[in-house]
Amino acid sequence: MRGTTLAGVLGLAAVLATACGTANGTNAAPSAGAPIVFGAAVSLTGAQSKEGALTKQGYDLWLDWINQRGGIVAGNVKHPVQIKYEDDQSKADLSATLVQKLITDEKAQFILGPYGSAATATDAVIAEKNGIPMVEANGAAQAIFNKGYKFTFGVLSPANKYLTGVLDMAATLSPKPTRIAMLTANDNFSVEVARAVEDYAASKGMQVVFSKQYPAAAPDVSGLVSQAKQANPDIVLNSGHLAEAIAINKAAKQLDLNAKIFAYSVGPSTPDFISALGPDANFVYDGSQWTPQVKYHPAFYLSVSDYVKAYQQKYGGSEPPDYHVAESTAACLAFQKAVENAGSLDPAKIRDALASLDVMTFFGEIKFDSRGINVYKPMVVEQIQNGVHYTVYPADVANGKPKYPTPAWSSR
Amino acid sequence: MWGILNIVNLAHGALVIAGGYLTWLLYSRWHVDPFLSLPVDAVALFVIGYALQRGVINRIIRAPLLFTFLLTFGLNLILVSVLLLLFTPDYRSVTTSYSGSRLELGSIAVPYIRVASLAVAILLAAILWLILNRSRTGAAIQAVGADRDAAQLVGIDLRHAYALTFAIGAAFAGVAGGLISTFQAITPTAGDPYTLQAFAVVILGGLGRVSATVAGGLLFGLIEILGQSTPGLGSGYANAIAFAVLVVVLAFRPQGLLGRLA
Repeated sequence: MRGTTLAGVLGLAAVLATACGTANGTNAAPSAGAPIVFGAAVSLTGAQSKEGALTKQGYDLWLDWINQRGGIVAGNVKHPVQIKYEDDQSKADLSATLVQKLITDEKAQFILGPYGSAATATDAVIAEKNGIPMVEANGAAQAIFNKGYKFTFGVLSPANKYLTGVLDMAATLSPKPTRIAMLTANDNFSVEVARAVEDYAASKGMQVVFSKQYPAAAPDVSGLVSQAKQANPDIVLNSGHLAEAIAINKAAKQLDLNAKIFAYSVGPSTPDFISALGPDANFVYDGSQWTPQVKYHPAFYLSVSDYVKAYQQKYGGSEPPDYHVAESTAACLAFQKAVENAGSLDPAKIRDALASLDVMTFFGEIKFDSRGINVYKPMVVEQIQNGVHYTVYPADVANGKPKYPTPAWSSR
Repeated sequence: MWGILNIVNLAHGALVIAGGYLTWLLYSRWHVDPFLSLPVDAVALFVIGYALQRGVINRIIRAPLLFTFLLTFGLNLILVSVLLLLFTPDYRSVTTSYSGSRLELGSIAVPYIRVASLAVAILLAAILWLILNRSRTGAAIQAVGADRDAAQLVGIDLRHAYALTFAIGAAFAGVAGGLISTFQAITPTAGDPYTLQAFAVVILGGLGRVSATVAGGLLFGLIEILGQSTPGLGSGYANAIAFAVLVVVLAFRPQGLLGRLA
């Protein structure tokens, strides 16, 4: 008699448990499904091998995390994740060929973007042609998104915002700097950044007094720097790449070009900039997609500080990840959420899920406008102070204040 | 190298970068002043250059020009990859305590590093001239350049002379790299523009004479900088202008400004 009662109670409990489970939609552990294959053509050799390596780190960091959890859940099936890589040798046209190869030969179901706007622009054509969604994290030129593509999404803030944040910050400083000298590499992305500055300066009561372009990866920029000096600028802006940022900063010191603000679009955020320049890197500003200090409250994946820890654990050292790594991880997060929301692996459904995505991550808000570009996340401004990066603008996510004005080279 | 060996060395830029890394390594590890490390660059690159020529390039020295292109192109890829393995793609630069000091001449500021680099360049050109024109080795090298079969007949060891020529070229590239690391950021793949510039300078100046190469270098540099400064022209045109001049020189004076007729 007692035995029967016990059995009945247990049976009832089991039924209840099942019922509750069903109500929550997790009645059974998801079954294991076939792997999802992502393809990525990143620059592992060539001029952009550094940035390409950072991109890959960002992807791999998420790959480890998601596979530790068994994979992405789509419609109650858990799919482990694979990422197939190809090396585009820093050549944009080769990138497109490799993406086609990833889709046809390696059976990649989804594409993670390459490094750089030029390669992203050529890959977008392939994604579109094949109807395969691509989420990219390292091509900020708006030109990519103005062609009406339906399958390409960028998680990063567009190029036109890269240096305008520096002007916003400069407008809050006293004495207010007004004269801008602009040195621009002649690639798509850099020119877009510079044009935005030229259009935006007047609204902040500033003028561009010097603006010149140089060929990307120019071996020598000292001629330009000495011309910029003649214009006597308050703000020296470079829209270019790491190598030129280092060379410009060196030439500015050698030629005694003193400005109140030195800000470079790309370069100062990387550890290389500080190690190459030593104390001369101090006071330099950059516009950044993300910094390890930002204060966002993510809805899933890791918090900002846990992300930094996970990075240091996987790649060693005490350097925090730079924004190239973070934005690349964010591209994976966009895919993960889109697959979960779509509950399916159908490319068209996932494209629609990406288009309607709106989620907060450690990288900031990910939400795409009708062109597929993330205009909802702000850029932040960083400054190097005593060899350390501080986020100095906007004030609500900052952990430091701008050290202004930059002292003359002779009095450092 | 081109004039004597009839080899266009597409790995020249990689050798430049190798010299740059050596200077950076000595500076960052043992705080060796970049100018003091220049002789080390020269010796190290001399050895590498000698070995490359003796071991590899000599094998195809009599092959058509295209083969030397292919071979040095391949060597370039290998050297760049080795540098990537050894030094990672991180950007490096040598920043010394005096790297910001400069000479003020009225309104013109000339950084000391650039002045010193100029002095080193002039010194090297003088040394090269002395080697080529005042030593037995130089005479042998010139003889090989003039007629290799005749040179062999009078007892010159061709393989050795070739290897020496290449080694001297490599040593100079290494010193150039050491100098470059003090005002540029270097990364293993940054060498290609230097190969291109070396190529253009040699064509502009003309083959076979040190003075011709110096003149070509000066002219090319001036065109590039003036092209940058011309009002209304971005420096994006600087290369275009420099290479347009190159085309004009090739069309009207194919032996170069000061070169000898082949």
